[in-house]
This record gives sequence, C-alpha cells and structure tokens, in this order.
Amino acid sequence: MTKSVKMLLLLAVLLLLAGIAGTWYVMQPARGKLVEIVQDGKVLYTIDLAAAQNREILITAPDGSRNVVRIEDGTIFMADADCPDHTCVKMGVLVSEELPIVCLPNRVIIRFQKGKL
Amino acid sequence: MKLKRLTQLALLTAMSLTLFVIELRIPELVPIPGVKLGLANIVTVYAVYRFRAWETALLVLSRLLLGAWCTGNPSALLYSLAGAAFCLCGMLLLRRIIPQQFLWLSSVFGAIFHNTGQILAAMLLMQTRTVLAYYPILLVTGCIAGGFTGLCAQLVIGRTKGKLP
Repeated sequence: MTKSVKMLLLLAVLLLLAGIAGTWYVMQPARGKLVEIVQDGKVLYTIDLAAAQNREILITAPDGSRNVVRIEDGTIFMADADCPDHTCVKMGVLVSEELPIVCLPNRVIIRFQKGKL
Repeated sequence: MKLKRLTQLALLTAMSLTLFVIELRIPELVPIPGVKLGLANIVTVYAVYRFRAWETALLVLSRLLLGAWCTGNPSALLYSLAGAAFCLCGMLLLRRIIPQQFLWLSSVFGAIFHNTGQILAAMLLMQTRTVLAYYPILLVTGCIAGGFTGLCAQLVIGRTKGKLP
C-alpha cells in the first residue's frame, strides 16, 4: 500500500465520519413553527404552523408542474405531485430544522424558516 | 476505433443500461433524493480501469442519454450528467494514484464526487442552498454504495484477467 493510498483511505474514513455527524445534525427536529414553501428560489408562502388551519395549497408552474401541499393539525407535507418519482410525497411530514421536503423536478421546497425576521 | 473495441464498449453500455433500468425496479429504501445503489456504475468503474479515458466518457454519456430516453425521466438527466461529470473527472485522476487492487476505494471517491456534482446541480436548479442539508446523508450512502459497487467491479476484473481488455 503506497503512502497516497493510505492517505486516501484515511480521507474516505474521515468523510464517512463527517457524513455521519452531519446526518445526525441535520436530522435534529425543528424548534420553530414557521415554514416556507419555495419554488424556483422564491418564497411563495410563509405559514405559522401553530396558527394555521387545515388546508391544501396547490402549487403550479408555467411548465405545467403541479404540487399539492397539505397542512393538517399543525404539520405540513406534500400530499401529491405530478413528478415521475414522488420522492417528495414519500418524505412525509416536515420535522427537521435543516432537512427540507424537496420535489426536484418541480423545484419545490418545503422548509422551516431560518434566522430571524 | 477498431471494430472490436467499439463492440466491447457497446456491450458494456448495454450492460450498464440494463443494470440502470433494473435498479429502478428495486423499491426505494429511503425516500431521500439521490440515495441509490448505482449498480450501473459497476460497469463505469470497470471501464475506468480497463479502457481509455475518452472511451469511458463515451460509454457513460451514451448510457445516460439512453437511460433518460428509456425511462422517460429527462428532468433527472441534468443531475445525472452533473454527477457523472464530477465522478469521471475524479476517478480518472485517481486512477493514477490508486492501483487496481484498491479499485473499490476509487469507486468510493467516485460516488462522493458523483453526489457532490448532484448537490451542486440541485443548488443551481432550485436556486437555493437549502438542499445542501442532504449532503451529509449522501456522503454516507455514497461511501457505502460506492464501496459495494467498487468491490463488484474489482471482483469482475479479478476473474476476467487476461481474457478481456
């Protein structure tokens, strides 16, 4: 084993450990209750989950994409989408501070609001 | 290009494409975008160590284009291209440092590069840094999946020594 291979091996292990630590960090549940629905980088809606009523929000785009966001009992999730994979729907309810719900093909993000207004 | 080489590359492309399509039928383990086994990359890793750089690039590009066409998901193509570009550049560079007996390590870095490219593409396309939160998870799954596919490629190369290019 050459020295370079040893270094690369060490680097790979470090990256794996950093990944595990980072995963733990991003999965921390959110403390706030303000969420944002974003599409193409623009915040479409800001919602206070503590005060919001149960409702469905339809998000459409000029290219024909369609997402349905549902707010139910103080939680928010993607109820339906016309994307091919439906990963966004399978993600379930938004819980963690850092990890958003994303629909990549339709460029929609549901996330907790960061920072102070 | 000699006919024999062309045929070999075509066969590898077909194998890679088949693995790609089959993997789509495997139920998703975790509902996180970008987490996959990447079985098609067994062929890619094999090609990096057995063929020339441009031949491997041609193989990957063909498989990506055919894959997007076959599966009817062209929007995913952008992410695949970004990931593959990073992955190939990285692995072709690492080929000089990592010997064939540590092929699996090269594949691990290939997977890391691939996911890095995809995250960057996602940040560009979504026009936000929010998706960066997925990077740690992708690092972990990338290391594991990359190690596994790299091991497969390494075993194949070990068994086909002398018989194939």
